This record gives sequence, structure tokens and C-alpha cells, in this order.
Amino acid sequence: MAASRTALRRVLAELGAVWLAVIGLYAIASIVSPPMLQLGQVFNILQVASFLGVIALGQFVVVLSGGIDLSQAGVVTLTNIVATSVMLGEDTMILPAIAICVGLALVIGILNGAMVAVLGITPLVATLGMNALLFGSALVFTGGAPRGAGAPALDAIGNGTLGGVPVATLIWLVLAAMLWALMRQTVFGRWLYSVGGNARAAHMMGVPVERVTITAYALSTIMAAFGGLLLTAYVGNPSLGIGNQYLFTAVAAVVVGGAALSGGVGSVPATVGGAVFITVLGSFTNIVRVSTGAQFVIQGALILASVYAYRQFARRRP
Amino acid sequence: MSTTKGTNWSRRRLMGTGLAAMGGLLLPSSMLRAQEGATLDAVGDMMSMAAKPGPYRIGFSNGFSGNSWRAMAIAALQAEAAATPDIAEFVVLDGQGDINKQVNDIETLINQGVDAILVIANSGAAVAPILRDATAEGIVTAPFNLPVDGEDWSTYVGTDPLRKGGTLGKWLSDALGGTGKIVALGGLPGNSYTAAGWEGAQAQFAPGIEVLAFRDAHWEEDRAKVVMADLIAAYPQIDGVWCDGGQVGAGAMKALLAAGRPLVPVTGDDYNGMLKLYDAEKGNHPKFDIGLMSEPTWQGIFAMRAVVSLLKGEQVPKRQVLVPKMITRNNYAQYLRPGLPDGVFTDTSLSDEELAKIFNA
Repeated sequence: MAASRTALRRVLAELGAVWLAVIGLYAIASIVSPPMLQLGQVFNILQVASFLGVIALGQFVVVLSGGIDLSQAGVVTLTNIVATSVMLGEDTMILPAIAICVGLALVIGILNGAMVAVLGITPLVATLGMNALLFGSALVFTGGAPRGAGAPALDAIGNGTLGGVPVATLIWLVLAAMLWALMRQTVFGRWLYSVGGNARAAHMMGVPVERVTITAYALSTIMAAFGGLLLTAYVGNPSLGIGNQYLFTAVAAVVVGGAALSGGVGSVPATVGGAVFITVLGSFTNIVRVSTGAQFVIQGALILASVYAYRQFARRRP
Repeated sequence: MSTTKGTNWSRRRLMGTGLAAMGGLLLPSSMLRAQEGATLDAVGDMMSMAAKPGPYRIGFSNGFSGNSWRAMAIAALQAEAAATPDIAEFVVLDGQGDINKQVNDIETLINQGVDAILVIANSGAAVAPILRDATAEGIVTAPFNLPVDGEDWSTYVGTDPLRKGGTLGKWLSDALGGTGKIVALGGLPGNSYTAAGWEGAQAQFAPGIEVLAFRDAHWEEDRAKVVMADLIAAYPQIDGVWCDGGQVGAGAMKALLAAGRPLVPVTGDDYNGMLKLYDAEKGNHPKFDIGLMSEPTWQGIFAMRAVVSLLKGEQVPKRQVLVPKMITRNNYAQYLRPGLPDGVFTDTSLSDEELAKIFNA
């Protein structure tokens, strides 16, 4: 009995209390609005959550390293603008578009990481500056009037399903599984936790702190680019405002998932749960009959409550 | 400093009523097809001032430039300036969405000694004092598109969102035969343009129209699609969609398509993506219908013509309300631009070539 309770606690610790919060919120939402229980709506939420979810995976890596990446919003927008203008609605241009976007994201991430790890600029300042630079580039590139369109074949990824499950959701879960393996099975993962826990101590133990940090920021922008590509596949059109909503929701998803902004604490499955939580919250407040103001108040209050509850839960854990 | 220093304003009340329909009189024949049918209503006093010798230098303080509407608005003004012999120079300053920067921009234009300043305000309250100063110094000031508080500017051109929203609401109500369940999708949370339009719409709905929900959709396709997907789950029957932007309408229709639901009557503006979608899907969806009205990208042209008239000593109405023509299933083909990006606002006098240049297409 005691052993099984310990095992349960271990599973919960890895998954994160956020999943309990997700279940609780979903139960409340379903009582208030029964349509939330339809299988179609469950998949709809998982589909919408996949954009935020993939982006938050990248944010998680940076937060784990003790930093923050506020350039993800700009990467999402730039990816959407560049991908649609490279594709111009042609299926043959999908691979070049993906290659260019991921390549750009890699360069941006390395620059972010270098600013933080080599130049010693505060992550918030460095990445927020990068975000402004990226948005400005998108504006200059388009002259304010974005052209282009997603390729028709991308529709299968953006809106298609496989065995009833949205393809975007499956891609998100595969990326999450890969990241989980990277965190739990590799030296890099252990280095990342140690850098986030105490960078100086990690450095003394011979961890290549600069390289780990730069890699973390590169993973973050690459995930943001993947998120931007999924979003582009979903909507099929360029928009200069498309990334804005992820400036802080990506951080919120990671924090709601229980990761500490001070670094070194957090898990991939909990980050997945954080993205689901934020999306369920949005969906729930879209469906219930409340005013826009009340919508924001409910969202803010529940995010605060869930973070507080998580802290309490974590404190009681042996 | 006296607020009347250097001004030569005279006002003459328009006969009898405050409203005079000018029935498109101000539209020159050179304008292309898409602008025919739009009307300009003069409201309130007529303005005039002592003539200044031309040609004139005109500044434009654009609140921000981050979307295709603004890009087209600037292009329309530049084309008009180039085609107007009375205009020697046309300067555009970009406020970058910053309320304070825009005030500085207007100060810069005053210091440069321009003859007239056109403005799309980031904040109607914030630019009011600096426009008052400019007007007091004898500069003609013309806010357009978005209103500026008070009356201390020369002349204003814009649509009336309340009336526009009402026209769209009436169209939707009629399209549903006066009975049906609808949802409404707006722009940025808390913006006054959508609020006025939605107020106008609700006043026009027949008693049989049930409003299921009003939600903000940020004037973005992706946001509208996500919100609509939730509403589709919540409401098994949605007979129509009211919105004040074509991106939002297109996003909502794409959500219906993704859910395998039939498309329904929808309102919006002259967003090319909406027209393309209607053209592609109308055959598959018998109930699909469009009632659209533009927020004309070319409205600044009328503000520019008004300031030139004032500088030449001619009379100009204090306010001109622009009433664009409805775009429906009957005339949408005139507006559709199949070879151009979705982001084009198609109620425009710009040619395909000029638009292709703006959009780098």
C-alpha cells in the first residue's frame, strides 16, 4: 500500500500536478458547458493546444536553463511570413520553406544564446530586443502588406486527422517525446538541469555552460518555428500579428506546468499539461456566456490559482 | 499663446439641417469602378480659410503601418499626391503604434512648416492638443479614419461605424429571413470601432434573430478560426456570422469547413480572402452568402482633397461621412482579385499592377 502510494507520487511528480488541474478544470467546464465533453471538442482543443504546446516545449528548455525566451513570438510571426512567401501556395516549395524557416530559427537561437551566455546580457532584455528586431524585419520584408499563402498539401497537417486524432497533435506529442528522451536519457539533459540549478557549480564540475545555454536557446527558437509552421498550416495565410499571443502564453504554459522561472525545475509532460491547461481555459471562456472582461479575469485568476496550488503541492512533497 | 493667432477661419452654418447628402458628387470620374457608388455625406458646418499660394507641402502622421490596410492607405495617398499639381511634397511619418511618438511626429511636421497635416490617430485623445496647436498656427489639420476628440482640427473624413455595423446587421437579419441563431466576432478586445458597429447591428436585428455569443477575434484569421471552432462545439446550430472584418469572416468560415459544417451568411469587409473563399465555395454551400462593406483604404484621398480645397480658400464640410457601397453575391465579381494575395482590400482604385507592387506579389 505504502509502496504503491510512493509509486503514485513519483508518477505525479513527473507528470506534474498540472494534469490534476487540467482534469479539474475540464470537469468544471463540462458541468457548466456539456458540449466540452464531445469527442470532437476534445480533439479541437488538442489541435489548438498543439501550436502553443510545441512553442512551450522550446520555452521549457530555456526556462529550465534559468533563462526566458521572449523572442518566440517574433519567430512565430517571421516563420509564418517567410513560409507563406516562399511557398506561394505551391506544394513543391514546402520543404524549402521549412528548411529556410528552421535555418533562420537556428541562427536566431544561437544569437540569443550568445547574447545571454557570452555577452552576459539579461535573458529578458536580450530576447525581448530580438523579438522587436524580428517583428521589425517581418514588417520591412512585407512593407506591411504580407503576400503569399500556405501550400494546399499542408492542409493535411494543419487540419487533417489520423485515426481521428489531429495530425498537429500527433506531431506535438512526438516532439514532446523526443524532448523528454533528450532531457532524461542524455548527458545534455543532465547538463541542462545542472546549469539551471546552479550555473557556477555546473561550470566547476566541467559542464560546458555556454554551449548548453546556446543550445537551449536554439532549441527554443526551433520549436517556435515548428509551432509557427503548424499554425501556418492551420490558417493558410500570412499575418503580421499571428505570433503576438505567444509572447507570454508560452511562458505561462511552462510556469503553469510547474517549472521554476529560476531554472533547474520542471518536466516535459508537465509542460504539455500546461499548454493543455491554458488552451482548455481559453476554450472554456469562449464557450461560457461571459463578457470579454470577465473572460480575461477568469483566465488570469485561474492561472494564478493553479500556479499557487502547484507551489503548495510541491512544498508538501517529501 | 493665443489659440486664434494666425487663423482666418470663418464658419457658415449649412442651411437648415446639419446633414447634407452629397451623393458621390465629390467622386471624380477618373476613379475606377470599385469606388463608384460610395457616397460622402457632409455633416455640420462648412469651413473655409484665406487662400494660401500653392503648391503645398502636406504631411501625414500615420499612427502605425503594420498591416496591409495601412500599406494600401499610404499607397492611395501617394498616388493622389503625385497626381495633384497643387501638392509639391508629401511626407509620411510612422508612429509605430506608439501614442507618444505620434505626438512627436506631428510636432516635427509643424516645425518643418508643412501647410497641412493628415492624421490617423493612435489615440483620439492624445493627439487632440497637438492638433489644436497646429491649427492655431494656421496649419490645416485633417484627421481621418479614426476620430479625434473635440473640434480643434479643420476637417474630418471617415465612415460611421455605428451606421456601417447597422447596415451589415440588417443585411444579415434579412439574409436569414428574420429568424436564426447567429454569433458575432469582433476585433481587438475593447476597441471602440467594433463596439459601435456591434451596437448598430443589434439595433437592426429582427426579433427572431438570437445572438448566441459575441467574441473578440483580433481581426486575425487564425484567432477567428480558433474562437469559431469553440463556438461550433458549443452550439449545434449557427445560422449566420456577424463580423466587422473580412479576415475574421474568412477564419470563421474556415472553422465551419474544418468541422464539416455548411457555410452560412457572413458579413465583413472587402478582404480579398473572403471574396476568394466565397467564389470557391458558393457552389458547395447553398446557404453561403456574403454582405460586405469596406472600410475604404482610399478614404485618406478625400481628406487630402479637403485640405487642398481649404488651402485654396474653398469651402469644405467640417465632417464628411463616407458610406461605402455594399458588396454582395450580385457584385462581388467586380471586386474579386483572383491573382492577388488574400490580404488585398479589394474596394480600391489601385490597379492590379500597383497592388502587386505593394504586396511584392
